[in-house]
Amino acid sequence: MNSDSTLIVAFCCEHCAYAAADLAGGLRMQYPSGIRIVMLPCTGKADPLLLLRTFEEGADGIMVAG
Amino acid sequence: MIVAEQKTIDEVKTLLADARKVLVIGCGTCVTVCFAGGSREAAILACSLRMASQLEGHARDITDVTVQRQCEWEYLDQAADQIKDAEVILSLGCGVGVQAIAERFPNAWVVPGLNTKFMGLPTEQGVWAERCAACGDCVLGLTGGVCPIARCSKSLLNGPCGGSEGGHCEIDPDTPCGWQLIYDRMEKLGKLELLMDVQPPKNWQKARDGGPRKIVREDLKLHHEE
Ligand code: SF4
Repeated sequence: MNSDSTLIVAFCCEHCAYAAADLAGGLRMQYPSGIRIVMLPCTGKADPLLLLRTFEEGADGIMVAG
Repeated sequence: MIVAEQKTIDEVKTLLADARKVLVIGCGTCVTVCFAGGSREAAILACSLRMASQLEGHARDITDVTVQRQCEWEYLDQAADQIKDAEVILSLGCGVGVQAIAERFPNAWVVPGLNTKFMGLPTEQGVWAERCAACGDCVLGLTGGVCPIARCSKSLLNGPCGGSEGGHCEIDPDTPCGWQLIYDRMEKLGKLELLMDVQPPKNWQKARDGGPRKIVREDLKLHHEE
């Protein structure tokens, strides 16, 4: 498994971490293509079922940022 | 409310044996509010069991549905097609829900996903405590609204016993003495003299000891014209 085929889903709070990811994009910063960013209205929305379903659908790892 | 807690996933897996098609049924009433068997818990358990079966190399078809109340056939009927279609029904209802499914669907193989514990209430977030033992002949009017059957470890009617120490029951220092609670409350309400009456032995035939119980209300029955 290399970093490109590793699928990491990043659940990011709309108000902080997602804005940071946006800024990183604006600055043309690079990150591995296996990272998928999903915006949440708040990381409080990252309930167990959402995380379990993410793994069930094939994610190798989850990052909750907020 | 009826308070229950989930069985371990290992026990659930044993109950499911090698079934390929499983339906997890949640209940939208008591076990929802005690976070044991509502729609959320049913979905999480179904998802966990699907992943476990994938890891074990024999993926199973595990779905979930939640009805408003498993203890009423009319609500179960709404999930009839899914129930009839499954090899095993894993009920996240209380013991009443499990039996309601078994009675309504004679061909369904239903197993319990919960251990039904007691009738009680939440005393703080995440803590539930027993309050009623369904003895069938309520004595709360004699004891200031604190149940000696459910809250005294020996269900004494004339307590406390000699094991009451510092407000705690001899069975466990974390268990408040039910009779101390009764005494304190009666004292606060200025009704201590009511405790001077010695209560005669209780008729336990009205409780579970008298066998399975049933209530018949003729005024509510539907009488069909002959
Ligand atoms: S110590 Fe209190 S609660 Fe425990 S058995 Fe005796 S009277 Fe009942």
